[in-house]
Amino acid sequence: MIIHSIFFYFFATIAIISAIMVTASKNTVHSVFFLILDFITISCLFIMIGAEFLGMIMLIVYVGAVAVLFLFVVMMLNVSQQKNTWFSSEKSSTHIPFGLLISLIIFIELIIVVGGWKFKPDLIQSYSSIGVNLNETNTHSIGNVLYTDYIHLFQLGGMILLVSMIGAIVLTFRTRVGVKRQSYIKQISREKDTAVELVNVESKKGVKIDV
Amino acid sequence: MINLNFVFPEIFISLSLMFLLMLGVFKKNSSVIIYNLSIISLIITLALILNRPIDKDIYLFMDAYKIDYLSNFMKILTVLSAILVMFASKKYIQSLNIFNIEYPVLLLSSIVGMMVMISSNDLIVFYMGLELQSLSLYVLASYNRDNLLSSESGVKYFVLSALSSGLLLYGCSLIYGFTGSTNFDFIMNNLNNNNYILSSGIVFVLVGLAFKISAVPFHMWAPDVYQGSPTSVTSFFAILPKIAALAVFIRFLYVPFIYVVDQWQTIIVFLSIASMLFGAIAAIGQKNLKRLVAYSSIGHMGYALAGLAVNSNEGIKSSVLYITIYVFMNLGFFCCLFMLKKNDKYYENIDDLSGISKNHPFLSFCFLIILFSLAGIPPLAGFFAKFYIFMAVIESSMYYLAIIGLISTVIAAFYYLRIIKIIYFDPEKIKYDKEHNIGLQFCLIISAIFILFYFTYPSWLNEIVSKISII
Repeated sequence: MIIHSIFFYFFATIAIISAIMVTASKNTVHSVFFLILDFITISCLFIMIGAEFLGMIMLIVYVGAVAVLFLFVVMMLNVSQQKNTWFSSEKSSTHIPFGLLISLIIFIELIIVVGGWKFKPDLIQSYSSIGVNLNETNTHSIGNVLYTDYIHLFQLGGMILLVSMIGAIVLTFRTRVGVKRQSYIKQISREKDTAVELVNVESKKGVKIDV
Repeated sequence: MINLNFVFPEIFISLSLMFLLMLGVFKKNSSVIIYNLSIISLIITLALILNRPIDKDIYLFMDAYKIDYLSNFMKILTVLSAILVMFASKKYIQSLNIFNIEYPVLLLSSIVGMMVMISSNDLIVFYMGLELQSLSLYVLASYNRDNLLSSESGVKYFVLSALSSGLLLYGCSLIYGFTGSTNFDFIMNNLNNNNYILSSGIVFVLVGLAFKISAVPFHMWAPDVYQGSPTSVTSFFAILPKIAALAVFIRFLYVPFIYVVDQWQTIIVFLSIASMLFGAIAAIGQKNLKRLVAYSSIGHMGYALAGLAVNSNEGIKSSVLYITIYVFMNLGFFCCLFMLKKNDKYYENIDDLSGISKNHPFLSFCFLIILFSLAGIPPLAGFFAKFYIFMAVIESSMYYLAIIGLISTVIAAFYYLRIIKIIYFDPEKIKYDKEHNIGLQFCLIISAIFILFYFTYPSWLNEIVSKISII
């Protein structure tokens, strides 16, 4: 049990520190890296409470897709040049109270949610009609319904993803003309007569090379 | 026991679209083959649906998927009109340089979505079908991406449609929260009459659905999207999603919420009245034929909703009949639009029609009957469509709805007749190409014959439709 709490505090500290660093770090690229670290530690926390499916999904979706997308955007737009001046300039004093207010609201909401859960446990029992077998892992239980009762929805979801992929390709892919591509077969099968030409160069005139 | 036999059409069409995608990847310059193959696969799908006559309702996938007479009829209508639209628009797509392998694949995937929507008996299934359908349509709307109007229409449709999907999902979550299930039959049996939050859930879902069929006041996207997207896509837009959304409307209103008619009836009546009047009045000032068709389809959806508002089997049947006839009228109209071509340039303004009767007697005759039919002039099919709606409305003594419908029919007749006047009595301006490909001519002739000769033997369609019974 003590090892469990050691791990918990280890990950929780990293999560909180990296969350702070997301907003505090001066370089935008560093912010995104801290965001990724935050996601990874939180997925570790999920795995520690037994929600291994959620943790893995968190890794795949947030780290694998969302954060990498952020990273791409940040690198493409080249915003890393613009230094984050939130904590140093005078302007920050107008933003910080507003941010604190919103954080307070979110904090109160969290307290209400967790408090309701803590003090009214019968609430959960009365509304859950899903037969959950606690001896199975999350992934197992989800798979049990996803591939049997809801197989049609699963397949339809796959179709939707396929369509969105086709759509993205259709709307953005362009075959550009004049792009030079390397073709090994062409290179190897080139003969001397097609490649080399003997030109008699007149002096002071040069040769015209057409590409 | 799940019997996959009954979803063969959906499975077949999904597999064939994946196969066509693979074929397109590995075979160079295969757009024509894929287009033709996708038409063939739609024809096979039609045969698969027709091959399985329904004598009782079949529930699949834990009652989430329902196959009954209504869903079969609507699926046949969807696939048939998709085949005809693809036949008619092939030449147009080729001349616009958007004839890629992805175009027919996206059409097929949106048809899968529509078929799922039509058969859905569960909020989640219905939403997934809707998303599959509209995701393909977003891409199709902006398919001609080098054209500014097309990209604009795609983005507009995407943003507004995403908003309406959000509202619809919120409504679904409210309904789920207050009934404990997403299944339509379960909701019907566990409905608490006096729950006002539940009725706001109904309202949200109806808003999302009304957006999909562009009923007033959720119609703003329609004219811009119809005008901006390529005409081949507009013809698809104007016909197919309406069939699917109307089927969902019928299911959603008459299965889970059949016992709370008084809560949704006023909403449907309002949507219907507003759409009929707005569709009639706003179309008067239009100069572009595609915008005009957008407004006219808004009006026509108003009539179809009037049939749903009356809460009787007769009303549902008249609505289904209306949408069937609407499909053929719009198909014919778009075939005529595809024929306004000169040297690979397509014309779509009302002025361009000026005096075409001198050089194109057949085309202008087709225009004449289609427009007369859209205006609802006897003895063409459009008259009967409106006639059955009004009959159902009057039978349940909602006289004001019938009166407003009649008034807006008269107003709408003005702009339809104005086009006929421009075609027949104005000076000649442009000479269009005379030769067209066979598919286009075939579609135009089919829809013209349907409109012209429906009155000689109306009972064959009426008998098919009259087997639909929901209540």
